[in-house]
Amino acid sequence: MVYVTSWDEFVERSVQLYKADPQSTRYCMKYRHCDGKLVLKVTDNKECLKFKTDQAQDAKKMEKLNNIFFALMARGPDVDLSEVTGKEQMEAQPAKKGRGRKQ
Amino acid sequence: MGLLQPDPFLNELTSMFERNRDKGSVWVTVKRSSMKSKSQKNKMATAGEPVEYRCLIRATDGKKKISTTVGAKDHQRFQASYATLLKAHMAALKKRERKDKKKGVDGDRKDGAGSTKKPKRV
Repeated sequence: MVYVTSWDEFVERSVQLYKADPQSTRYCMKYRHCDGKLVLKVTDNKECLKFKTDQAQDAKKMEKLNNIFFALMARGPDVDLSEVTGKEQMEAQPAKKGRGRKQ
Repeated sequence: MGLLQPDPFLNELTSMFERNRDKGSVWVTVKRSSMKSKSQKNKMATAGEPVEYRCLIRATDGKKKISTTVGAKDHQRFQASYATLLKAHMAALKKRERKDKKKGVDGDRKDGAGSTKKPKRV
């Protein structure tokens, strides 16, 4: 199995793999609480990328990756990834407006 | 069980994580799918209709299998709940406390892995 050591490399290669073949690329996650281990796998049935960790900080990074994949898969591979982060900003803005109204 | 709506799926996933706390694994797979058979897809393509894609999420603990589909509209809400769920359950992962340079308060490190320790003051 191909374990990627760098998180950023894993993310970049996974997104590339997905954009090359959105139909057959899947993203899998296995979590074992008893061992405290998390393994991520992205494959298009030809190539396979894996990432394993036992660090809590990687779980946070994985959440961001989840967001990216959800956006790519639900909307389509042409989604602009800055939209994913852009959306978070957009959600923050109306909230600020709301606070401004309360007087 | 099998195919559920997103909210019941999240509830089931929660109980799956709970059940497998002391032993076992939880697998979650995410893939894009149109949820239609090949022949239907071909028909839609030739008819000129856009094929609508959804996100298929499957989960299993080795014994029970559950799944759900999420469309473009629901995916943000689902992903927020999903993220909360994961954060709540992945408590077994190690927290890396980096107190590299500044204080040698918690100086006893069993691992010694990571940064090389330089003597601060000679």
